[in-house]
Amino acid sequence: VLQGDLGPFNPGLPVEVPVWLAISLKQRQKCRLVPPEWMDVAKLEEIRDQERREETFTPMPSPYYMELTKLLLNYASDNIPKADEIRTLVKDTWDTRVAKLRLSADSFIRQQEAHAKLDNLTLMEINTTGTFLTQALDQMYKLRSNLQPAQGAQSQDF
Amino acid sequence: DSDEGSEELVLTPAQLIRSLEQAWLNEKFAPELLESKPEIIECVVEQLDHMEANLKRAKKGDLKVSVHRMEIERIRYVLSSYLRCRLVKIEKFFPHVLEKEKSRAEGEPSILSPEEFAFAKEYMANTETYLKNVALKHMPPNLQKVSLLKSVPKPNLDSFVFLRVLERQENILVEPETDEQREYTIDLEEGSQHLIRYKTIAPLVASGAVQLI
Repeated sequence: VLQGDLGPFNPGLPVEVPVWLAISLKQRQKCRLVPPEWMDVAKLEEIRDQERREETFTPMPSPYYMELTKLLLNYASDNIPKADEIRTLVKDTWDTRVAKLRLSADSFIRQQEAHAKLDNLTLMEINTTGTFLTQALDQMYKLRSNLQPAQGAQSQDF
Repeated sequence: DSDEGSEELVLTPAQLIRSLEQAWLNEKFAPELLESKPEIIECVVEQLDHMEANLKRAKKGDLKVSVHRMEIERIRYVLSSYLRCRLVKIEKFFPHVLEKEKSRAEGEPSILSPEEFAFAKEYMANTETYLKNVALKHMPPNLQKVSLLKSVPKPNLDSFVFLRVLERQENILVEPETDEQREYTIDLEEGSQHLIRYKTIAPLVASGAVQLI
């Protein structure tokens, strides 16, 4: 395909494909999906605990952990051992991260920061709160710039 | 950086699609209309047409055919989304977009493709006619002019954007938000992600040093 080479597809042998193709083939019942290494109860428990312990954001095993979890659990839960536990663990980690993000967004706005570094955030998290945050910041900016006194406009006498 | 004469960029198809995705995301998240990328669009359309032609000739029902078809659909989606995003901005900021294009210096890249330019001009003419017929011609004679350039809001270049650094940058100036703060500089490490005002980093988006996310 345009974006790279695929295959070779040999029966019984695992092959790496883009997620969109994997889901499509699974839906057509042409394959079994192999979950990524980090999609394992012990590993995810470790991550969840670290996330709860630390104030900073834990580096996640995949920049697409949320999307992969949702897709794989939706379409291929039969290929994932302990799927329910995995679902809960990822959700708990997500909730903790989003709560931290909300707090830090709040403090960003309050302290009128001009810049923030967000290395360990995944795109899903950024885009979940991002639009709200940027629009709120824009509003704040508009309100602040309007604090400048208006240029001599004469008021009307009634 | 750019030299005289033709700049022939030879990209692999994978790199081409990657460029399209980058242009798409930048356009989506940037508050203003960005440079038009006719080379990318032309090449992508060419590749898609080429693929479609191949598929027409291929055996039906082959797995390969459906995989290629899916990929084509995905790329078409990105391309459409990118072009539509640009049209939305053109309609939103039309007087400013046209003004910028008219006052562009010789060597500077264009922000409108020829088709987009024609569209913008027509949109402006239609809007002017509409306003005149619906309201302006019924106003007292001294109020019949409206300056679209003054009344249509400009893009807010001070909006905050999220970005990922592709090429390391040093000493980017961060302007203070309040009078009590002072300006400071930051270095942008490759692979790091930031939240910052668009205005400061606009040239970095244009040069491809950062990617909006």
